[in-house]
Amino acid sequence: MEKFDIVVIGAGPGGYPAAIHAAQLGKKVAIVEKEKFGGTCLNWGCIPTKALIATAEKFAEISHAAEYGIKVDKVSFDYAKVVSRKDEVVAKLNSGVGALLKGNGVTAYSGTASLISRNVVEISGKEKVKIEADKIILATGSESFIPGFIPKSPSIIESKAFLAMTKLPKSMIVLGGGVIGCELACMAAMFGVEVTVVEMLEDILMILDKDVRSAIRSNMEKMEIKVLTGAAMTDISATTKTVKGKVGETEVKAEKMLVSIGRRPYTTGVKLENAGIELDELGYVPVDEFCRTKASNIFCVGDANGGPQLAHAATAQAVRVVDNICKKERKAMEVLIPACIFTAPEVGVVGLTEQDAKEQGINVKVGKFSCAGLGKAMASGETEGFVKWISDPDTDQLLGAVAVGAHATDLIAEAAVAIRNELTVDEIGNTVHAHPTFAESWMEAAHSVHNLCVHSVVRRKR
Amino acid sequence: MAQIVLMPKLGQTVEESTIVKWHKAVGDSVKKGDVLFEIETDKAVLECESFYDGTLLKILVAEEETVPVQSVVAYIGEPGEKIPDAPAAPAAKPEPKKKAAAAPAPVEQKKSAPAVEVAKPAPVAAPAVSSVPSRSDSATAKKPGRLFISPRAKALVKNKVVKAENISGSGPNGRIVEKDVLAYLEQTGYNDLRIAPAAKRLAADKDIDILDVTGTGDNGRIMVRDVETTIAEQPQTMSKMRQIIASRLAQSFGHIPHFYVTTSIDMTDLLEYRKELKAKDMNLSVTTFILEAVVMSLEESPIVNSSTDGVSVRWHSNVDLGVAVSLENGLVVPVVKKAQTLTIEELQTQMKDLSEKARTGRLMPDQMSGSTFTVSNMGMFDVENFSAIINPGEGGILAVSSTLQQPVVKDGEIKIRSMMKITLSADHRTVDGAKGAEFVKAIKSKLEDVELWKSLI
Ligand SMILES: Cc1cc2nc3c(=O)[nH]c(=O)nc-3n(C[C@H](O)[C@H](O)[C@H](O)COP(=O)(O)OP(=O)(O)OC[C@H]3O[C@@H](n4cnc5c(N)ncnc54)[C@H](O)[C@@H]3O)c2cc1C
Repeated sequence: MEKFDIVVIGAGPGGYPAAIHAAQLGKKVAIVEKEKFGGTCLNWGCIPTKALIATAEKFAEISHAAEYGIKVDKVSFDYAKVVSRKDEVVAKLNSGVGALLKGNGVTAYSGTASLISRNVVEISGKEKVKIEADKIILATGSESFIPGFIPKSPSIIESKAFLAMTKLPKSMIVLGGGVIGCELACMAAMFGVEVTVVEMLEDILMILDKDVRSAIRSNMEKMEIKVLTGAAMTDISATTKTVKGKVGETEVKAEKMLVSIGRRPYTTGVKLENAGIELDELGYVPVDEFCRTKASNIFCVGDANGGPQLAHAATAQAVRVVDNICKKERKAMEVLIPACIFTAPEVGVVGLTEQDAKEQGINVKVGKFSCAGLGKAMASGETEGFVKWISDPDTDQLLGAVAVGAHATDLIAEAAVAIRNELTVDEIGNTVHAHPTFAESWMEAAHSVHNLCVHSVVRRKR
Repeated sequence: MAQIVLMPKLGQTVEESTIVKWHKAVGDSVKKGDVLFEIETDKAVLECESFYDGTLLKILVAEEETVPVQSVVAYIGEPGEKIPDAPAAPAAKPEPKKKAAAAPAPVEQKKSAPAVEVAKPAPVAAPAVSSVPSRSDSATAKKPGRLFISPRAKALVKNKVVKAENISGSGPNGRIVEKDVLAYLEQTGYNDLRIAPAAKRLAADKDIDILDVTGTGDNGRIMVRDVETTIAEQPQTMSKMRQIIASRLAQSFGHIPHFYVTTSIDMTDLLEYRKELKAKDMNLSVTTFILEAVVMSLEESPIVNSSTDGVSVRWHSNVDLGVAVSLENGLVVPVVKKAQTLTIEELQTQMKDLSEKARTGRLMPDQMSGSTFTVSNMGMFDVENFSAIINPGEGGILAVSSTLQQPVVKDGEIKIRSMMKITLSADHRTVDGAKGAEFVKAIKSKLEDVELWKSLI
């Protein structure tokens, strides 16, 4: 039986960086993947969705070219081509990951891994292989699923199947107004699909503050997406051509329905019980702040441990776990994880939100700056949205931030640096930001925390 | 005319009390029977009611302040009514009106009597703060001796969030000048510190010396959580109750030569008998049996029920049995008076009533003082054995541990029995070793003798 220092199970954004990083630190490493290198993120998640969304945005932009004085005759698209470009991007990145693993000396096994004991992993691929591991890092991720109350039909699909379609439907219901649902709803609407989003909760994207949600929702409605919230979809029925149902009193009907009401961890087949690890009631692997499981030599990173369900969170955990193993450190996982939502407009959010603060009874001071007040935004014709700081009124510490509007997903990086390093509102306000840029809005919003924003009218309390 | 509200005197042993909370603010209208404030004595927290209708005109004793009983704490009267400048002293030393069962209300007096005294320089000049430090000052706060420091040095110290007290000055009179601060920062390694801005702000706000903080961020950077840890580790004045517990325990353990006798008691038969009784709807707790056995044994060994100051010995004719009841923030010891006169059922009823009152903070001070012997029961905590510290004024205390299944040699065979350990702590000045042993033996033989209980019940 071949013996490795570290065996990683799953090659998503949790697994493959763990393997490469450990190999770079001089360990003998194996990685086991049952499908494709890159996991959900690269093959059926972040990357393919963003490839489609980027194309949709380009299409929308070109359709509005006349506003900038650009003349374009008859804009149209070939969705099959759009999809094949996406597939090329995925394939390229996919082989890139394979090359990185190989180049760094990681032994890759293809097959499904399960645990025989705390130290022995069995791989069922073309043949059965057993390998021995000193340490095991589980990075088995999660998969989307369609709950049992929804009828099985080719017209009802989840995100993975949606991404594989080479033809867009005329109309589509999106069941679930979370991140994935709203992103794909916006993308489809930009390509002219008649979209209806159905969300049981009182609003879509409930993780965001109300002002951010309404900025997105009103734009979605402007794009003629029907957004139905506050009621569950009932009486769902489907044929090969249509899906029907009721939302409260409203009848909804479309050619296809995308179900995006959650994912489940991919942990059942891994036989963790053979290492004495029990799953929680939702199937996640319970871990502590160091991503350690109950078995002291087994770690779990990424979606499978029930953390933030974001690719970069998986990667950050993976690298930290490997550092802790190889450098004999004992550093807890980072808790400040920014999240990006690629809707129209897009959103970046990090740290405390206003609604969190309210719920936890934390007193906060907020400063907002609207993109409409930015020279660069005007120049680019992208004046929608705003940025917002959430701060501690006593110490001026920055606790949270959100950006909604053009480039928001890139803008949020500055806020993450500031919050993680416990900067104060003043320090961001005093940091000179280049002009004209979208990033200036952070500086302006910092000024407005103290009601001292040059580029907005401050109403003084008498 | 404005009425005086006094700090009530609760029982014989309470000399001072702390106001922990005012339920009314100055200007609030007050009705007779309204709760005015809460006080904390060394024994309990109690609510004090008003005896007057009117408006709360002035508060003389703020929250967290401790004053002797009978001090004036407030005035109640008509809005706008004139009140004396200095707090009036109580005319006489009236006994508090006992209000059975109800929470004690403050004792107040008609203004007529002390009216003369008001004019005098008040003898109880400003509610005299007692020797117990108020909670706001830290237990280790330095005496604010005069510090000579130049303005530039002061500004630098403030900017760096360090304490000037720790810097030695090189100027005249030991005046601290800027270069002293700079040298200090260099010496202490301050200049190598990495400090998150928000952490520095927080430390400045909370008056924490940055040099007292250990950084745990990247490369030892001082983060907000590190300052929070330092804040949490600052010494805090304990509650009045805790301080009293501390001083009494230290006094007892320092003065009374303790000695300990432990024995194991086979509770198996008694537990069996208790089940039988339960089936007959007679529900006696194990604790009740233990207490009753203690009471009977104390009568047989009166020296354990005595007390000494080292010169004289006092024999107590009654068994006033203290039973320790643990609370979230400390411990109280309600006392069953004349326990030897009670039937076993009366003992249980009284004990139940007292512990309920103890848990809800409704014990009267007299219900928690004057015990002659104490039992501390930790049976519910799964402990094998422990020893307790004698309450000052008593000759002994009995520590009762958990009843555990144990292999025991009985009739030449190993059997599984329910065993309970008790440990007597006794004052060796009066209780000799043999007497102590006799006493625990007496308890043991009673608890192991089911026939005895059958004859009693
Ligand atoms: C449509 C969609 C869009 C998304 N968009 C974003 C986004 O924009 N930004 C973002 O941060 N996140 C996004 N996510 C979430 C992101 O994809 C996940 O958080 C991330 O992939 C989790 O990484 P992981 O390594 O934990 O698991 P995964 O990426 O799920 O990888 C797990 C891998 O393990 C393999 N595996 C599982 N079990 C075994 C086994 N027993 N043996 C061998 N191999 C096994 C799987 O085949 C898989 O390849 C999106 C997700 C979806 C579905």
